[in-house]
Amino acid sequence: MSDRPSVLVPLRVLEGESVPEGVPDLLANAHVVLLGYHVVPEQTAPGQARMQFEDRARERLDDYETLFEDAGATVERRLVFTHEGQKTIDRTIEEHDCLAVLVPNATAAVDDVLVAVRGAVGIDRLARVVAGVFSETEASVTLYHVADDDETDEDAETLFDGMQNRLADLGMDASRVETRVERETDALDAIVDAADEFDVVVMGETDPSLSTFVFGMPSDQVADRFLGPVLVVQRESPKDTRE
Amino acid sequence: MDEHSVDVETTGRNVDGEVPATEPDAVTDDATVHDDDVQLERTIGLGGGLAIGVGTMIGAGIFVFPGLAADEAGLAATLSFAIGGLIALLVALPTSELATAMPRSGGGYYFISRGMGTAYGAIVGLGLWLGLMFASAFYLVGLGHYASAVLAELGVGLPFDPVIAIGLLFGAALTALSIGGTENTAKLQNAVVGILLVVLTGFLTYGVLDAVGVFGRSSAPEEFFSRGFFPVLETAALVFTSYLGFAQVATVAGEIKKPGRNLPLAMVGSVLVVTVFYVVTIFVATSAFGADRLGEFGETAMVEVARDLLGLPGAVAILGAGLLATFSSANASILSASRAVYALSRDALLPRKASEVNLRYGTPHVALLAAGGPILVLVATGETEVLAEVASFLHLVMYGLMCVALIVLRRRNPDWYDPSFRVPGYPVVPAVGALASFALIVFMGFWSVVIGSVVMLAAYLWYRYYAADVILKGDV
Repeated sequence: MSDRPSVLVPLRVLEGESVPEGVPDLLANAHVVLLGYHVVPEQTAPGQARMQFEDRARERLDDYETLFEDAGATVERRLVFTHEGQKTIDRTIEEHDCLAVLVPNATAAVDDVLVAVRGAVGIDRLARVVAGVFSETEASVTLYHVADDDETDEDAETLFDGMQNRLADLGMDASRVETRVERETDALDAIVDAADEFDVVVMGETDPSLSTFVFGMPSDQVADRFLGPVLVVQRESPKDTRE
Repeated sequence: MDEHSVDVETTGRNVDGEVPATEPDAVTDDATVHDDDVQLERTIGLGGGLAIGVGTMIGAGIFVFPGLAADEAGLAATLSFAIGGLIALLVALPTSELATAMPRSGGGYYFISRGMGTAYGAIVGLGLWLGLMFASAFYLVGLGHYASAVLAELGVGLPFDPVIAIGLLFGAALTALSIGGTENTAKLQNAVVGILLVVLTGFLTYGVLDAVGVFGRSSAPEEFFSRGFFPVLETAALVFTSYLGFAQVATVAGEIKKPGRNLPLAMVGSVLVVTVFYVVTIFVATSAFGADRLGEFGETAMVEVARDLLGLPGAVAILGAGLLATFSSANASILSASRAVYALSRDALLPRKASEVNLRYGTPHVALLAAGGPILVLVATGETEVLAEVASFLHLVMYGLMCVALIVLRRRNPDWYDPSFRVPGYPVVPAVGALASFALIVFMGFWSVVIGSVVMLAAYLWYRYYAADVILKGDV
């Protein structure tokens, strides 16, 4: 496979979720894993829903596949009937080794991208997504970091340097990359506020913890509050280190 | 990834011109795969599987049968439950092997139709569907007894016997609830089963200590075979309804994660767990009162046992547990019955319309109504023992045939038959399982056998009329 980053686009295909405007162009340089899924209640065998809805769902996916392919993406697709949408999404991410998941929202032409950089961990995957999706476009990229109190500007600089080097290695034009450090107590609010000026947000997943369990993943919260599309870069799956 | 295909060609058309749905290309740990890119997610884990098995079984066996069984067999009813458990285990092991080779919705029906042909499949499949109805009706009548006991405990006097009325009410409510699309039914089921096990464990621990004289009371001296040997086997046939739950696990085999591992563990595990609970319960119950008095208490004998051991709080706890348990058994059976309808209509043995999914709620309303309606009619009869025995009869036929199907498949050994769990002690275990299942039928009441046989004959005639051309048998 080429160096196209694989991006999962999950759609509740029978409940009216469709590919929003601008998204096919956004992912023109990606390998799109198009997941149409339908959640059925526990009383219903997934196979039962399949007998009835498969044809309709297939037709819709055909249309979406064409949209992405016309924009230039390579497309792989799945149609899944499930009791648990999240399990299906997680499994598809793993099986197709997706680097990122798109939270689809409509977007105009993409001029500027906000990339939330959190720490050194996962920076390689973040860079691969950013370079893969945006290096062939005209969009400008802003690396954005919300620093802790005990973090100096030099620390942030080191972080950005690492990221910029990696982007350059991957063929991204350095002149298009800017950096920005913010000091604010709530990283989440800071990202959402900053995101207002941008067309697309790229951010990493957080490790699950008690607070993500209670409040949900920060990436989900950003996606809820930001009106444009969010690319959520996935953690390396533990399976990759196995075998 | 553990992946193998179920190489079964289905052909033929039924009277309505419908053909069986295509078989999947492959079965993996997480999904059933059709045509490469269409998948059915597996979402029920080991805990969920065990909850279905234990939850279905524990309700009937522990809360409804002690009085009835003790009345028939005396203290030896303990042995009846042990025999039932042993037979269930002998069948659960072959079922596990078949389920890991063919983890598809429909359970026993699927294995038999693919292993032995459409006619057997139709008899078993329609029999399973009706058997589950009889089982649900039995659980609902039990629920009615418990709810009436609650009313009596509260001092609410009614001018009529409320057992059947309450059974009907709950039956209708459960059907409506299933159609309306209650979310999280499985989580609810898990919680109910957890609470039940905790209550029962506490109660039984106290009861056993009491029975062996720790608290200074002498237990009722009792001759073990006070009614003779024959009633022990008759009672085993009656209480076998308690063990139908492991087959319910197989009806959702298509939705179990890592089926190769979880299906055998859930089926065998739940049989072992409930066997222990049953045997101890009957022991405690008969020790507290002696078989004669226990028999007089009938369906809610356990409440009197609890009252005797722990006073009013004990009686209240067991009443609550009994309500929950019979409720969860009935709920699980109605859902399994609708899975059975789905499997049959998928294979064109019933009209495709029967498994149609409701657009508004996403639930199979026709299948659920087809299960719920007849259940209400059966509940109205109020015949606990006959309902239980007919359910047992229809399931025993299926169990026997499953064991035969396993032997057939092992002997022919087609390419696609590649179970990840293999029954230990082949061919003795499945052969004994088949013989024991059929033998238990001999000890059933006359009318139960007649009704069960009529149901099977009707199922066969339906198949001859509706789907005689449909061929489901795998390449064996």
